[in-house]
Amino acid sequence: MSFLQPWLLAALPLIALPIIIHLINQRRFQSVQWGAMMFLLAAQRMARGYSRLRQWLIMLFRTLAVAGLILAVSRPLASGWVGLAAGGKADTTIVLLDRSPSMQEQAVGSGISKLQTGRQQLVRILGTLGSQRYVLIDSGSREARELESPEALTSVATAGPASAPADLPLMLQAAYDYIKTQRAGRTEIWICSDLRANDWSPDSSRWNALRDAFLVLPQGVRLHLLAYSQPHTDNVSVRVTGVKRHVSKTGAELLVSVRLARGEDGKKQEIPLQFEIEGSRSVVNVELTGRQTELRDHLIPIEAKKLRGFGRVSIPADANSADNKFFFVFDEQPARKTLVVADDPSVGVPLQLTAAISPDDAATCTADIVSAEQLATTEWDKISLVLWQAPLPSGGIAEQLQAFVDRGGQVVFFPPREPGSGTFSGQRWESWVDAAAAVESWRGDADLLARTQSGAALPVGQLEIHRHCKIKGESTSLAMLSSGEPLLSRAQTDRGGVYFWSTTPAAQDSTLASNGIVLYAFVQRAIAAGVAVLGRTRWLEAGNAGGDASSQWQRLSGDEEALSTEAHCHAGVYSAGDKLLAVNRPAPEDEEKQLSDTTVSELFRGLDFTRVDDQAGNAAALIQEIWRMFLFVMLLSLVLEAVLCFPKALPAKGAAT
Amino acid sequence: MSRRPMQGSVSGRHASPHRGSSIEFAEYRKYVPGDDLRRLDWRAYGRSDRFYIKEFEADTNLRLCLIIDTSGSMGYGSQGVSKLEYARRIGATLGFLASQQGDAVGLACVANGLGQHVPPRRSAAHLRLVFDLLEQAKPHGETQLARTLHELAETNQQRALIVIISDLFIDPAILGNCFQHLRFRKHDVAVFHLLDPQEIEFNFRRPTRFLDMEGGPAIFAEPNDIARRYQAALEQYLAGVKQVVLESAIDYHRVQIDEDYEKVLVRFLTSRTQAKGLR
Repeated sequence: MSFLQPWLLAALPLIALPIIIHLINQRRFQSVQWGAMMFLLAAQRMARGYSRLRQWLIMLFRTLAVAGLILAVSRPLASGWVGLAAGGKADTTIVLLDRSPSMQEQAVGSGISKLQTGRQQLVRILGTLGSQRYVLIDSGSREARELESPEALTSVATAGPASAPADLPLMLQAAYDYIKTQRAGRTEIWICSDLRANDWSPDSSRWNALRDAFLVLPQGVRLHLLAYSQPHTDNVSVRVTGVKRHVSKTGAELLVSVRLARGEDGKKQEIPLQFEIEGSRSVVNVELTGRQTELRDHLIPIEAKKLRGFGRVSIPADANSADNKFFFVFDEQPARKTLVVADDPSVGVPLQLTAAISPDDAATCTADIVSAEQLATTEWDKISLVLWQAPLPSGGIAEQLQAFVDRGGQVVFFPPREPGSGTFSGQRWESWVDAAAAVESWRGDADLLARTQSGAALPVGQLEIHRHCKIKGESTSLAMLSSGEPLLSRAQTDRGGVYFWSTTPAAQDSTLASNGIVLYAFVQRAIAAGVAVLGRTRWLEAGNAGGDASSQWQRLSGDEEALSTEAHCHAGVYSAGDKLLAVNRPAPEDEEKQLSDTTVSELFRGLDFTRVDDQAGNAAALIQEIWRMFLFVMLLSLVLEAVLCFPKALPAKGAAT
Repeated sequence: MSRRPMQGSVSGRHASPHRGSSIEFAEYRKYVPGDDLRRLDWRAYGRSDRFYIKEFEADTNLRLCLIIDTSGSMGYGSQGVSKLEYARRIGATLGFLASQQGDAVGLACVANGLGQHVPPRRSAAHLRLVFDLLEQAKPHGETQLARTLHELAETNQQRALIVIISDLFIDPAILGNCFQHLRFRKHDVAVFHLLDPQEIEFNFRRPTRFLDMEGGPAIFAEPNDIARRYQAALEQYLAGVKQVVLESAIDYHRVQIDEDYEKVLVRFLTSRTQAKGLR
């Protein structure tokens, strides 16, 4: 139970008042010499049961009446959970609102999403609890914005649905920063989320830092989680996994690959897929069996002269409208050009071969072996990948490479025969180690060594490493050797990719070339990542790209009500200069993996934390003042006490004579 | 005053169980050898040719035995007069009346046991002694009336009018045994059951600690709570007493001590006179 005026509970000892008065009364008795004790004794024997109970009942009702009065004036709250313990009016109330697509899942029949329900509940809760100041940190902007009142939660655009995922640790960090900079007093933080694992990143080390930071805050911060963790199993999501413009003898056509997915295995479902390419629509029915189905290279004819454009794939409305459409853009495939800088021909040649063989007939791949000096005259705008097996660049070449990376280009470094002392992106080579080592582990879930689309793992474990060169610097290891040294690591960059292999494809160093699957997949994926930023079309994940520049984007398709300043958070097609941008929800949003209760408890371990679970479409208030109930209890107690105290009619005088 | 024939040493105003010479005819009886020939009814012999002895009621004096309960509870009186004081008045008056008629008057004060006890005598000096004892009687101790009545029933061989003046705070069943015992010994038993109006009405208002006048433990009670059950217990007790009275055929008078004792006595004497007349 929680109270809006908890200090009035200090008067609770007054419930002992009736007992004290009773005891005082008992001391104010009169003493009488009495002869007819036998009747009194008999009366007492008769009174053992009910009369004693009545005495206790009277005492109980008097105590209840006082307690009811004190509790009523303390303004108790009824809540769906014990221990909301709002503890009175807060100085600052910060709302962390998860606006991610999964929060737009609707309750069956009500048509009200989790996000809408959460906002309405928060309006009610905060309106009841009260606060000096209300602050909203939404998952889109992750910036603290002050609200005039809790009701603003239902009206401000930045509290509406978005396609961007939530980053709860970052939002909590923003809340922490706000508390620190604004020197807020007692603060309540309300988190409204559906507990999707991709939004919460429970394995992130940031949680430990956040916990420690909140624990040492002197003003006292209470965290409340308003959780909408009930998933809707019937929801189907659609995602475009690839779009290729193909030119044939008869004309041009688009090859669109689409994946349909749902939360649980269900019965076979026929889903009409609607393709809309700049106004022209076509529908194809797809059978969904199991948890997901993929439609590969669905052919859609387009005008031959149409070299670039955009479109949308959508499915009929279901539980979550946010994952029922997916935007895409297409363009002529740019040339996949790779530069190979290699001191050692036994390294350079296999790298060139790997980069020059295109996996797609429609795309042309070229790879040139150049010296470091020739890079000065390179047209960097046409390069998608640089493979570097030479001492780390310095001076102007290093600056050019860094600019290439900052633009989104990919650079892969292999160790030179004579490692120098130069560094790039905080990494440098150390000495060679002439000892064979096996591959111990590698990341198959993400980045360039990830599993294939069919789910098969790359045979990284089959590689034989004869010698390797140690890498020094802070990086993320993507593959580890049995010696504990990284085989492949990725440097920290804002954009683009900088990778360091600790061995080369040369036969004396490893079997990277002879067992070429891993190297080929790695290089081709790196080229694809580089091409993605080179072309005039970009596929962006909502929330991760654009930033402030997104306000300059022109919306071509998508949610008309979204703020232009938030374009990067809303799915749609935008034009930015001569580029076409397709912004969609990130792939993890389609996964329904949620945090377990234990994980949530662990994340907030040691903090003043309460959790309440709600359901989408729940119209009932989670908390409400219930002082009337206590007042009623008080009045009822008084009435019952009066009834019990009422003297019973005595027999008429002399009835015994 | 006595409703039953009394044995006495002198001729008095009360019927004697012995047939003797008197003016009041009792019955005819067949002559048996040895009977006084002077009491032969010759007229009856003339009419029936049989010998009958004419018998008359013999008048004798009364042995009045006053038994006064002087236990602690008799000291209670809410109207300024205690039950013992009331008992003194009734006892003294009855003793005086009996003495005036030439009857023997005795007194037994009963508290923890048989206290002051004087057997019935007819002299004026004895009456003075009875009055003195009555005056000296103080309420004290626990009632041992039942035991004492049994003792008196055993020790008083001669028939007597036993007048018990008490609040009778004893189990009616035990009381019944006592009365049966006295009746078995051919005693005429009269009971003045004294009750204070407060003991009947029990109209206390404040929480009260009732201190036992007979030395028992005190009882704390909220009168509002206990009054109803007190009344129920009292009614049950009085019903028991009534049953006992009916079964033992004693002369029972319940008296509220706020009533004028003269009226009580008049009622008592009148009822006894009527009862005698009926007989």
